[in-house]
Amino acid sequence: MTHLELDGVTKVFGDPEKDGVVAVDDLHIDVPDGDFLVLLGPSGCGKTTTLRMIGGLEEPTAGEVQFDGTVVNDVKARNRDVAMVFQDFALYPHMTVRENLGFGLKRENNDMTDGEIEDRVTEVAEMLEIEELLNNKPGQLSGGQQQRVALGRAIIREPRLFLFDEPLANLDAQLRKTMRTEIDELQSDVGITSAYVTHNQEEAMTIADKIAILNHGQLQQLGTPDAVFNEPANLFVAQFVGSPNMNLFDGTVGERGDAYRVEMDAASFDIPKRLVDTEFATTDVLVGFRPQDIFQGRGKKRGASGPSFDAEVRVIEPVGTEAVVHGDSNFGDITAKIGGFHGLTAGDELSLAIAPEHVYLFDARTEALLKGRLIAERADTQPPADGVEV
Amino acid sequence: MATTTDPDTGPSTDADANAGDPTAEFRKNQSWLFDTTAGTYLRKIVVGFVSTVSLLYLLFPLYWMVVTALKSTQEIQQIPPTVFPENPSLEGFRLVIESSLETGGYAGVVENVFGVTISSAINVDVIGIILNSLKVSIGAGVIAVVLGTIASYVLSRREFRGKNALMSVLLASLMFPGTAIMVPEWELINTLDLYDTHLSLILIYGAMTSPFVVWLMKGFFDEFPDSIIEASRIDQCSSVETFWYVIVPMARNSLIASFIFAFLLAWNELVFALTLLDNQNYTVPPGLLTFVQGFNTQWNVVAAASIIVSLPVLLGLAYIQRYFVQGLTGGAIKG
Repeated sequence: MTHLELDGVTKVFGDPEKDGVVAVDDLHIDVPDGDFLVLLGPSGCGKTTTLRMIGGLEEPTAGEVQFDGTVVNDVKARNRDVAMVFQDFALYPHMTVRENLGFGLKRENNDMTDGEIEDRVTEVAEMLEIEELLNNKPGQLSGGQQQRVALGRAIIREPRLFLFDEPLANLDAQLRKTMRTEIDELQSDVGITSAYVTHNQEEAMTIADKIAILNHGQLQQLGTPDAVFNEPANLFVAQFVGSPNMNLFDGTVGERGDAYRVEMDAASFDIPKRLVDTEFATTDVLVGFRPQDIFQGRGKKRGASGPSFDAEVRVIEPVGTEAVVHGDSNFGDITAKIGGFHGLTAGDELSLAIAPEHVYLFDARTEALLKGRLIAERADTQPPADGVEV
Repeated sequence: MATTTDPDTGPSTDADANAGDPTAEFRKNQSWLFDTTAGTYLRKIVVGFVSTVSLLYLLFPLYWMVVTALKSTQEIQQIPPTVFPENPSLEGFRLVIESSLETGGYAGVVENVFGVTISSAINVDVIGIILNSLKVSIGAGVIAVVLGTIASYVLSRREFRGKNALMSVLLASLMFPGTAIMVPEWELINTLDLYDTHLSLILIYGAMTSPFVVWLMKGFFDEFPDSIIEASRIDQCSSVETFWYVIVPMARNSLIASFIFAFLLAWNELVFALTLLDNQNYTVPPGLLTFVQGFNTQWNVVAAASIIVSLPVLLGLAYIQRYFVQGLTGGAIKG
């Protein structure tokens, strides 16, 4: 219901002239009506501060926060008509669940009678399946139930914006997955524009329409989960998104016919030019592979052959049908996620390879992306028509 | 297992075949897992003994007050003293109540209704001094809680220059003996033309207890989760609404503890009350003191009066004490 825009938003804690700490630095984010934005980043990257500025709990030092084109910098939190779910749920401990849910509606300047509020509370409680808990105090509820009440308190008012501040961080792993799905469903149902803060990349990838990745207060990339995974703007994004972490090795790149020749310490391989959209301004590169893209076996797969190497298995971490394998190769340490691990034991030799489409290349100096991970079908069938946006 | 003995540790003793194998030794001797029977009894005896001694130490003065009230003057003066009254009587209570009724001006009413003539040698109105004390103590409690809470809220939530100095001054004022400032206080009260009024005591007691309330409530506000206040802001509360609907209900226990503290201090304070009031306006402590009359003191009357004046406070505290403990120990906030 609201088109949220952050225009050059900056937040400095302390004195900006002297030794103030820049928490958020010149942030431009545009969230269309009904979208689910996830602010993702490591601790202290400014994502929560950004969310609080959207909610009106912090004032931006510079820049504008706009709701539907209206600048709301000077509008108080209570007049912004946003709802927020806090990491610690922040339920009012002295009120019952019913009072907690109804509190916002009672305080709001609306014409609702007590009966109408009561109906709305019941309706929301049914939606979240917490009808039996209405007369309990928050202290008597489990973490998941408290989380539902906190969600209920947010949706009951049908606000312009939902703000979530790491709402799942205090829940156990199992519950986190269920609640994640529920939040996603709920948001799609009510269609209210949402901003969600998390440091968990998996959570971000699953729930977001758009992810904004922040580091040191600066926006690294704003894009769909796919874009962030396949075409990370820089090394930071590539390492932060995806699990297990990307394998990275030093290398140099040169031209050879209709391909780029990538030389690494222990191997070299070609990347056909049609797979690369940017011009290489440098010869020093960082070569990255996702553990998921590494497959067992030698030789060609999907046309061109990528790097291949032998690795000695050090540790095997089974995760269901696949396993994360840590090994020593002649490149150095390598992590691969492979199936068919059941015969493996530590010390075994593995032959591994990567398709060239899946190789990431980064400028070694600027750490900007040179070549992203191409979705194989597209790369195979046609040369890229328009450049991959980076 | 003696064969496994490490040569570096020296020759094995061979007294116990398992001496060299810690696992076997562990399996054989698990005594450290359990208490011995003797140990259990010893612990119970020590705990019981210490509890009994502390209990006696704490309760004996109260017991002595009750027993004294039930004795006759003659028995009180007897040497050696009797631990249990030989002829328990309620004479002391009768004298206190009669004096109270007569001094309070109810003698005529009682004579008309019950046909009993009251003539008392003592002129202390016990009901009157209890009411005076209630007035002073409640007044002081309200002042301390209101001022202390507001001050502590600001001290806890806002940063400003001199904040630490201010907190230190408040703490130092608690360490200052009240009597040290008796003379200036007396001057001040006289200048304000408040001599012999209960308002003077209310102001002084309120000022004496506010610093403590500030420290107690600051502890509460320091631990008050920001997110709850923010949640109420998001729920469209103004600051006043946040304070009234969210903070005050959550602070209830600490507020009650603060109030009780201020109340009890005012209820027990003797020196200021004695100095700033005349006889007819006395609060409980100086009022009780008027029962003590040199060699003629009727200790059973004093004890009976003490019991009577303690009753309202005891009843009130019995009802309210669980809040008091919760408020003092914190932990009142559970998410």
